[in-house]
Amino acid sequence: MDDETDPAPASAAEALSIISAQRRVAWQTVPSSALLFLVWGGAWLVGYGGLWLSADERGRPSVGAAVLAVALAVAAVATTILHSVARTRGIAGDSARQGALYGWAWFVGYLAMGWIISALSAAGASYEVVGLAANSVAALVAGLLYLAGGILWRATAMYVLGAWIALVGAASAFAGLPTSYLWLSLAGGGGMLTAGLVEAVRRRAAP
Amino acid sequence: MTELDPVIHAQARLRVVATLASLAPDDRITFPRLQKLLDMTAGNLSTHLRRLEEAGYVTITKTHEGRTPATYVQLTGTGRVAFDRYTTTLRAVLGGAS
Repeated sequence: MDDETDPAPASAAEALSIISAQRRVAWQTVPSSALLFLVWGGAWLVGYGGLWLSADERGRPSVGAAVLAVALAVAAVATTILHSVARTRGIAGDSARQGALYGWAWFVGYLAMGWIISALSAAGASYEVVGLAANSVAALVAGLLYLAGGILWRATAMYVLGAWIALVGAASAFAGLPTSYLWLSLAGGGGMLTAGLVEAVRRRAAP
Repeated sequence: MTELDPVIHAQARLRVVATLASLAPDDRITFPRLQKLLDMTAGNLSTHLRRLEEAGYVTITKTHEGRTPATYVQLTGTGRVAFDRYTTTLRAVLGGAS
């Protein structure tokens, strides 16, 4: 017996505080949804915001703003992957499989979106129709995957955010170009930033 | 406090079990990652894990990832039930005391 070297906790209260301290430590093995919502919220706010700000009278954004938006998306994808890999290093099992499949679902969603947009363009859709479809389908893919993530991880904030992004993105198509970009920036990016703050506060308040 | 499971009711082992119980039920963790989370020496952690394994609370699997050997630790169903019972008892003790 090694119980001499491993004494019992002094009291029940101390034992419970050891448990809650370790539960907090174990959070290091799970990607922070607060951080990822803030990163993506910032990317949408600035990326779509730039597209809206730089748009000419026909609704076409400048090349610079488009490059910035793509660069922000790439940076956000890289941050998501690096953060998730670092957090889940050394953990195997169902949750690792679930996380990998969930990550691939985003890839599938945006690949499918790329095909839809190319096909619309090839079929002769106008610049505005293509732009509006790209904006609302991008929001639909993100929204549905946040809904799925909310179900998967029983994350209410994520589920609500998914519903919000899907509906706001779809409705933004009625606004036309370039106003649709502004909707995605403020309502879409803003919604993600709000969800990130809610998650951060909730986590801090958790026992 | 006599009803508390003596295998879990020890400071270091409680930390080990609480950490493993915080993972999803079917997840396992590599020995080095667990060691890092607990900030224990390898020898110390091995000793505690052996005791927990003897009690049937954890399983230790040695495997290979490519050419490097990897040791995975997982809380068993029995271990999870024992930990749940332990925390329930703690709360009852606290509730009764106040």
